Amino acid sequence: MLFIEEVNKMKLRSSFIIAACAAALAAAPAWAQFKPTKPVELIVHTGPGGGADVLARFMAQVIEKENLAPVRFQVNNKPGGGGLTAMAYVAEKKGDSHAIAVFTGNWLTNPLTRAEAKYTVKDMTPVVRLVLEPALIAVKADAPHKNLKEFIDEAKAKPKTLKQSGGSVTSRDNVVRQLLMKATGADWAYISFPGGGERIAALLGGHVNMMIIEPQEAGEHIKAGNMRVIAQVSDKRLAGFPNVPTIQEAGFNIPNVEQVRGIVMPTGVSPDVIAYYEDLFQRLTRTATWKKYLDDQQFQDGFMKSAELAKFMDSFTDQMRGILKEAGAKVVR
Amino acid sequence: MKRLNGDLVSGAVLVALGVFVITEARGWNYMSEEGPGPGFFPLWYGIAMVVLSLVLVLRSATKAAPGARTDWGAIGRALLAWAAFAGCVALMQPLGFLISLALLTLFVVAVMYGRPLKIAVAAAVGNAIGFYLVFVLALGLSLPAGPLGF
Amino acid sequence: MEALLGLGQGFAVALQPMNLFWCFIGVFLGTVIGVLPGLGPAATIAMLLPLTFNMPPTSAVIMLAGIYYGAKYGGSTTAILLNVPGESASVVTCLDGYQMARKGRGGAALGIAAISSFVAGTVGVVGLMLLAPPLAKFALTFSSPEYFALMSLGLAMVVLLAGASLIKALLAMLVGLWIASMGIDLFSDSARFTFGTTHLLDGIDFVIVAIGVFALGEVLGNMEKRGEGTLLPVPKGLRNLLPSWEELKACRFAFVNGSVIGFIIGVLPGAGSTIASFISYGVEKAVSKHPEKFGTGAPEGVAAPEGANNSETGGSLVPLLTLGIPGSATTAILLAAFILWGLRPGPLMIQDNPELFWGLVASMYVGNVMLLVLNLPLIPLFAQILKIREYLLYPIIFGISLVGVYTVSNSLFDCALLAGFGLLGYLMRRLDYPSAPLILGLVLGDAMERALRQSLMMSSGDLSILVSRPISAVMLFLAVALLCLPLFRKFNSWRIKAIEENG
Repeated sequence: MLFIEEVNKMKLRSSFIIAACAAALAAAPAWAQFKPTKPVELIVHTGPGGGADVLARFMAQVIEKENLAPVRFQVNNKPGGGGLTAMAYVAEKKGDSHAIAVFTGNWLTNPLTRAEAKYTVKDMTPVVRLVLEPALIAVKADAPHKNLKEFIDEAKAKPKTLKQSGGSVTSRDNVVRQLLMKATGADWAYISFPGGGERIAALLGGHVNMMIIEPQEAGEHIKAGNMRVIAQVSDKRLAGFPNVPTIQEAGFNIPNVEQVRGIVMPTGVSPDVIAYYEDLFQRLTRTATWKKYLDDQQFQDGFMKSAELAKFMDSFTDQMRGILKEAGAKVVR
Repeated sequence: MKRLNGDLVSGAVLVALGVFVITEARGWNYMSEEGPGPGFFPLWYGIAMVVLSLVLVLRSATKAAPGARTDWGAIGRALLAWAAFAGCVALMQPLGFLISLALLTLFVVAVMYGRPLKIAVAAAVGNAIGFYLVFVLALGLSLPAGPLGF
Repeated sequence: MEALLGLGQGFAVALQPMNLFWCFIGVFLGTVIGVLPGLGPAATIAMLLPLTFNMPPTSAVIMLAGIYYGAKYGGSTTAILLNVPGESASVVTCLDGYQMARKGRGGAALGIAAISSFVAGTVGVVGLMLLAPPLAKFALTFSSPEYFALMSLGLAMVVLLAGASLIKALLAMLVGLWIASMGIDLFSDSARFTFGTTHLLDGIDFVIVAIGVFALGEVLGNMEKRGEGTLLPVPKGLRNLLPSWEELKACRFAFVNGSVIGFIIGVLPGAGSTIASFISYGVEKAVSKHPEKFGTGAPEGVAAPEGANNSETGGSLVPLLTLGIPGSATTAILLAAFILWGLRPGPLMIQDNPELFWGLVASMYVGNVMLLVLNLPLIPLFAQILKIREYLLYPIIFGISLVGVYTVSNSLFDCALLAGFGLLGYLMRRLDYPSAPLILGLVLGDAMERALRQSLMMSSGDLSILVSRPISAVMLFLAVALLCLPLFRKFNSWRIKAIEENG
C-alpha cells in the first residue's frame, strides 16, 4: 500500500515538475504544500550514544514536544564503514521524501580518502546546515606555554619533542596541526587516540603537551585549574572565552577548519519537500530549547539553507582535499 | 574411512593465512616518520603465525596423531546443521527474520531430529511467535521484515 | 568522615520513594537487557535518554546507572546456561559457568555469579566513595606504555587459557589479533584486511565472533549426535539450584580478587571490563591449588570474572565523575546525558553537586541489594530453560544468536559473518583449538597495537620507553614470567621424572 502510494506520488510529482518548468512558473508558494504523511526516518551514522545520534534524538524530541511536525521523527542508526554505510543508505533511498540524515564534516572528508566509498554528498540533497562546532587549543595548566606563539616557538626550536593528542589523522585536530606547521615551519608529534577521554587523560597526565578540545569538554578542567586555553579554533571569540585570541588573532594566518553538522536527504525529491524541511529546521532552531542546547554545548548557530549549503559543501570539500594532500594522505577523488 | 590429520590440515591453512598476512603487511608502511606504520604489527604477528603453524605441521607430520578414527557421519550432521543456519541467514533478506527462523526450526525439528511434521510445524510457528512477542513487541527491536511486513 | 557525612546525605536522596522507584526501574531494565544478548547498556541508555529530559537529573542518573550495572548482573545468565555471552565481559564466564551447567550445577553457577556480582558491585561503590580523587590521579599516570604492558600481561594469560596444546592456543590468539586489525587504521587512515568491502571498514564487532565461536560452535558440536533428551541435566529441588557451602567457600578468594582487580582496571580509562574479567580469571587460576579444574566447571572460575565485571562499574565511574573522562561506550553516553541535563562531571562535580554524586553512590548500594533480591528468585525460573528438549532448544539458540548479532548494527552482513564464525567455532572444537585465546587476542589486539604505536610515537621510535617506566616495566616482567611458566613446568616435570628414574 505504502509502496504504491509512494510511486503514485513520485509520478505525480515528476509530471508536476515538468509542467512547472515548462511554464517557467515563479510561484514558489504553490510548491510549499508537502507535508509528511508517515513517520520520518532520521538516519545517523553512529550507533546509539554517538555524537550524531545524541543530536538526532534530541532534535526528534524537540520536534515532538514543540509540535513542529504532524508526524514522528524516528532515529535510525546505520553505523559502520566510518559513516559510509549510512551514506550509501541515504543515497540509495532516491526519491524518498520521508528520509533525512544528520551529516557531519566526516561525510565530506571521508570519501576523499576511502577508495571503498560508493557515494559522496554529491549523491544527496543538502537541506540545512545547523551547527558549527568551534574548538580550543589547550595545554596543561602548569605548562610553560602562555600562548600559542610560545608553543610554536618551542616546537620550532626543538623539533619533534612536543606532542599533541588527537583523533584520526584526517580529523580536524591533525588538520589544524598540519596547517600550523606548514605556516610556521614548526614540528611536533601527533599521537592518535580513539576516544576523547583518552586524549584528555594523556594531556592531564602530562604525557602529551597540547590538544585541540571541544569547549564543553574543556569547561570543567579549566574551571578546576587543570588546563589552560592558549587559542581558539573559531571565526570569532566564544562567549565563554572572551580573553583568548583565535588562531588568526594570535598572528597565524591559516584558513579556519569548520566542524559542521546539518541535514541532508536523498536526491530525486521535489523542491517543495526540501522547502518543507528547510522551514521545519528553521523553526526548530528558533525554539528556546534549541538555543539552550547550543549554549550548553557551546556550539555556534550555523544555520544555512539548501542552496547556500550546497556551495559551502563544495568549497569545504575542495579545501579539505588540498589540506589532506598536503598532509600526505592518499586522496582518491 | 581414512583418518584425517586435523593438525596437518589446519596447520597448513594457518601457514597460508600467515603468508597472506605478511604479504599484505609488506604492502603497508612499516615505519613512518611519525612512528610505526600500519604494517608494523601485522608483519610481526604474521611471522609468528607462520613459525608456530610450521612447528605444528612438522610435529604432526612426523608423529602419528593419536585418537579415534574420524567420524564423518557426525561431522556431516554438524555441517548439515550449519548449512541450514547459513541458509536461514541467506533467506532473511527476501523472507524476513521470523519466516526464516520458522523454516530453520522446521528443518531442525523435522529433518535433523526426525519428529512428526505436526510437532515440527507447531515448534516452528511457536518459535517465530515467541521471538515476535519478546523482541519485536516487548523490546521494540527492528528485525529484517519480509514481504508480508514481518 | 567527610565521606560518611556525604553518604548520609546520599541515602537521604536515594531512599526517597521517587528515587527508589527509578532505581528499581533501572536495575530491572538492566537485568532484562543483560539477559538478552545484543542490546547492550549503551544502546539502551541512548534510547531512553530523551525520556529523562523531564525528570530531575538525580533520578535520571540513578536510573541510567541502574541500567549500566544491572546489565552486567544479567549478562552472565545466557553465558552460563546456553554458552551465549550476553555481553562482552561474560565471555570469560562461559568458560567455567557453562561447564558447571553441564554438570548439573547451572543454578549454583547462576547463584555464585549473583553473589559475586553483589559483593564486587558493593566493593566497587565503596572504592568509588572513598578513593575516587586519589585513584583518579593514579589513573592519569597510566599512559600508552603502561597500557601496552597491561595488554601484554593480558595476552600472556593465554598460557593459562591453553588446553592440551600451547601452540594451538597461541595460534588461536594470533588469529584473534588478525581479526582485531581488520578495518580502518586510526593512525594512517588506511584500510587493512577489508577485502574491498565497506562492511569491514569498522572491523568486526566482538559480539559476532564471541557468539559465533562460543554459542554456535557449541550447538553445532552438540548436533553431531541426535540427542533425544535435554541438553543439560536439571537437578530436582531448590537445594540443588543454589550454590553449596563448599562451592561458596572455594570462591572466597575469587570474590576479593575479582572485586579488587575489576575496580582497579575499571579506573583506567583505556582498559575495560572484558580485560578486567580475563585478568582476574587468570590470576585466580595462577594462584589456585588446583588450576587443572579451571575450564571444567570450577566455581572460582565464575566468581572471579563476574566479580571483576561488576566492580569495574564503580571503577569506571571514578574517571567519569571526578575527571569527566569516559572509559567505555556506556560511560561515554552517560557523560553525554550529564551534559544534556546541564551538568558537567569533572573535578568540581563532588563540590558543586554533592546531592547528585552522593545520591548516585547511595543508590548504587540500594540498587545492588535490589539486584540480588531480584536475581536470586529468578534462578529456578531461568534454570527451566534447561528442561527444553534439545531439538527445540537449538533453534531458539540460533534465533537468539541472530537477534543478538543483528541488533549490533542492523546489518545482514554481520549475520553472514556470524554463520562464518559459527563454522570456525565448530572446526576449532573439532580440531582441539581452544576458543578463549581467540577472543583474548581479538579483545586486546587492537588496544595493544595502538598502545605500542602511541608509545613509540611518544619516544620517537625508542623502545626503551616501554621498560624505563616502573609500572610498565613490572607488568612486562610479569608478562614474560607468565609466558615462561610452561617451559618451567615442563622442565620441572622432566626433572621429577629424571629423579624418579634415577632413584
